[in-house]
Amino acid sequence: MRVLVVEDEVRLAENVASALREGPNFAVDCAEDGLTGLHLAENRCYDLIILDLMLPGMDGPALLKKVRSHGDRTPVLILTARSEASSIIALLNAGADDYLTKPFDLGELIARAKALIRRGKGVADPILRLSDLQVNTVEQSVRRAGKLVDLSPTEYRILEYLIHRPRVIVSKRELLEHLYDYNWEHHSNVIEAHISNLRRKLEAATQQPSIETLRGRGYRLLMGFEDSR
Amino acid sequence: MKAYSITHRLIATILLLELLAALSISGAALVYERHVRFRSFDVMLRGRADSLLGAVQDAEDAQDNVMLDGTEVNLPGEDIYQVQDAGGRILGHSANWTGPSTDLLTAKTGKMQRVSVRGKHYRALRIEGLRIVDPGDKGGGIPRRVTIFYGAPVDHVWGEIWEAVGFYAVTSLSLLAISGLLIFWLLNRGLAPLRELAAEASGVSVDSWNFVPPPRARMIKELAPLTVALETVLAGLEHSFLQQRRFVSDAAHELKTAVAVLKSSLQLVTLKQRTAIEYERGIERSQLDCQRMEETVAKMLTLARVEANSIPAAGATDLSEAIRQVSQQFESMAELKRLQVLVLAEGPVMVDIEPEQLQLLCGNLLLNALQHSPAGSAIRAVVQQDGTQAELAIEDDGEGIAAQDLPHVFDRFYRGDPSRSRNTGGTGLGLAICKAIASRWQGTIDIASDLGVGTKVMVRFPVSTLPSASIKVAVRN
Repeated sequence: MRVLVVEDEVRLAENVASALREGPNFAVDCAEDGLTGLHLAENRCYDLIILDLMLPGMDGPALLKKVRSHGDRTPVLILTARSEASSIIALLNAGADDYLTKPFDLGELIARAKALIRRGKGVADPILRLSDLQVNTVEQSVRRAGKLVDLSPTEYRILEYLIHRPRVIVSKRELLEHLYDYNWEHHSNVIEAHISNLRRKLEAATQQPSIETLRGRGYRLLMGFEDSR
Repeated sequence: MKAYSITHRLIATILLLELLAALSISGAALVYERHVRFRSFDVMLRGRADSLLGAVQDAEDAQDNVMLDGTEVNLPGEDIYQVQDAGGRILGHSANWTGPSTDLLTAKTGKMQRVSVRGKHYRALRIEGLRIVDPGDKGGGIPRRVTIFYGAPVDHVWGEIWEAVGFYAVTSLSLLAISGLLIFWLLNRGLAPLRELAAEASGVSVDSWNFVPPPRARMIKELAPLTVALETVLAGLEHSFLQQRRFVSDAAHELKTAVAVLKSSLQLVTLKQRTAIEYERGIERSQLDCQRMEETVAKMLTLARVEANSIPAAGATDLSEAIRQVSQQFESMAELKRLQVLVLAEGPVMVDIEPEQLQLLCGNLLLNALQHSPAGSAIRAVVQQDGTQAELAIEDDGEGIAAQDLPHVFDRFYRGDPSRSRNTGGTGLGLAICKAIASRWQGTIDIASDLGVGTKVMVRFPVSTLPSASIKVAVRN
């Protein structure tokens, strides 16, 4: 999952980004002013936007309205130093999904970020299940047919993204966009290598096929086709 | 002091004065009426006594005596009288009188005396009369002297006097009552604009500073100064209240953010198991965050202190000397960044600024210039005196400030370009403090900047007319 943090207090942005990278294994981009934030948000490759209110260039509420007016449904978590109900109501009514008042708890921020991403994907349960595959987003653990599958952080991120979009072909480009931040040097064959490792680990447990490669189009989980859902 | 009403006091005073006037009028009426009525009473009394003399007749007896012929006179029955001859023989008297008192006997002829008979008060007099018995055609006859005592009751006169006084008293008292009501009504009407003004003023609160004085209040000579004063005071209060409120809200926002940074730094360290080096680095970063918070708090306090205007002027200070001292303080920092600070300050330029604040102003401006200048460039600080104006210009060849940020650079906590705040760790208060110092000492501060070319800050103060602080010290020593 990839998160955009728009916050002009650089140290705070750094800490939030580090926490999101270390904790739930997200890719994080930071913007220090509203205009850069809007520019990045318009790429629409984010699964969550964390937005400060007082920003140079363009303030948080204006950015939020702009993003929403373009039909962007990315969940938005507001960081605010104001705690008056009126300003919070105005923000939620302007299209924000949740808010945290400064100073906040990093653990709470991570939990809310995860919940917002989950909801954004239309899922309520933090444990995602698809046929015999089970992904626990809290523990970041994966089981297939009840057996624990040991994955690297990147492999887990790919699988988490795929299981959020069952029966859909996810392109390599989409995976790159949602799993890596801007600082990462893009090498598309890295994805292929990770997919191959992931497939091997998932199939080791049951000997059943797991991920299908559709040449030139992308990847798709094979679980979930057998049941009637 | 007890609360009281001006209206009530005024009315009470006026009514009291009117009451005094009414009493005086009644008293004067009493004196006047008494005088007039008793004079006519006395004339009447003499007339009656004289008519009694006319009733003294020749008794036609051997001794040629006189007698009183009661049928000849017609006198009021309540009057008292007695007629006697020179020998003391009583010729006649009224039925209700037994005789004159010694007062009346010894009193001067014709002088009015007070007489009390059976509890009734009379005014009485004594007259001497001469009656000629058997007067011949050629004179002669026997003269007989008679003494007449005559009195009439005074209660009628007093009754008339009291009636007149009563009339005056009642008339003036009713006038008093009418004027009291009239004054009450007029005062109430007259004070209505004051009440309206008070009602409007009482509507002012910290949440609603809206004060629109009733138009009448401005038109009234006595109320206009109060109205204007209220407007001025309220406008000033509103301004400073809003400023304080904004400052508190800004400060709270800034502190919350600073705490958020520190808290997140510490929580990040404990998010998972780390190596000793990672912990160490985390603690170092937290300490830096703490230091920044401290700086913010210190600067907020400085700003609050400058704005409170609590520091009195200490006499004149040399602007040239201040900028030279400050540039020396920054020498090592300038060297480190390979910057040159050129100070052009010839001769003392005296200004009325508290020395510490002047240093702070110069320091903040120079630090800003140093922080935003590229390595190898020069910063120029020029002090000039232009008539009664002292000028300090600090110019750098730094990255400049964007035009849209320029009007806001003196706002508290304003950080225009985020890269500025990241590079310098600025609190967004430095220039706000400069502006506050300039305003505090009747000066101005202006900034001009071209993006990528440089920035020039101009500070102007009135030249001091006070003796210099250092000279004063020298004299004291």
